[in-house]
Amino acid sequence: MAEIDDIIHQPLRLRIMAALNALPGASGLEFSRLKKLTGATDGNLGAHIETLAKAGYVAVDKAFVGKKPQTTVTATAAGRGAFARHVATLQEIIAGAAGKP
Amino acid sequence: MSIESREAAAALSDIEDIVRRVRQSRIYQLASLLLIMWGALVFAANIGSFLWPRTAGYIWIAVNVAGIAGSFAISAFGQARTGVRSFDGRALAALLLFFAFGLFTCWLGHFGPRELGTFWPIYFMLMYTIAGLWVGKAFVAIGLSITALTLIGYFFVGPWFEPWMAFVNGGGLMLGGLWMRRS
Repeated sequence: MAEIDDIIHQPLRLRIMAALNALPGASGLEFSRLKKLTGATDGNLGAHIETLAKAGYVAVDKAFVGKKPQTTVTATAAGRGAFARHVATLQEIIAGAAGKP
Repeated sequence: MSIESREAAAALSDIEDIVRRVRQSRIYQLASLLLIMWGALVFAANIGSFLWPRTAGYIWIAVNVAGIAGSFAISAFGQARTGVRSFDGRALAALLLFFAFGLFTCWLGHFGPRELGTFWPIYFMLMYTIAGLWVGKAFVAIGLSITALTLIGYFFVGPWFEPWMAFVNGGGLMLGGLWMRRS
């Protein structure tokens, strides 16, 4: 059995990273859109974003649009790399299992 | 940490699902702006055709030119924000081919003003509905709803057909665009 990235592998963090990684270049997602896409609650999403930010996998940008606060989350280069390695590991696990008698 | 192949397969399936949702969300975001713009233009053109029927042909030409220019502008705005270009030379060529076939059909069928006002929305909604089979159910819902309401207008609304179409076609596109922004 291969070793996987346990920061990314948690189901909600995996969905967050998958969503951010699906965006081109340096694009990010607003907190509310990320919440809708992942089906998470405010508190849960905030906590997992913080974990990913501490690992250096995402960058969080807080700004005001008019009078409304807006939080944008973006995958960092390190985060994109870690996600790509994680997906490769998942594929290896499946391929390894398929090769077993 | 190590996991079994079944869990790995479930994780990959989860990733695929999210990627599909993100792609659909981005299509909806860009399409919503286009729908709102075209809806406003179609609304204005229908009201203009009702008030000044003799100049209806020119109104529709002006609206279509403005719509194409606006689509390019929205695409450029979207490209600056997201890196994705939604309306390019190929999209313009597709739209012109689409228009050409529509014009040919109108010429062949000798359509009157009311038939023209019915044919074009239904023809465009056919495109929305077909596109929706690939890009999202919202397009199918918008396409079929506007088609049905257009036919109701054609058969039952009498002399108020253009105002009806302003609300059904123009308003329908704007509402559809606003709904897409929220979904």
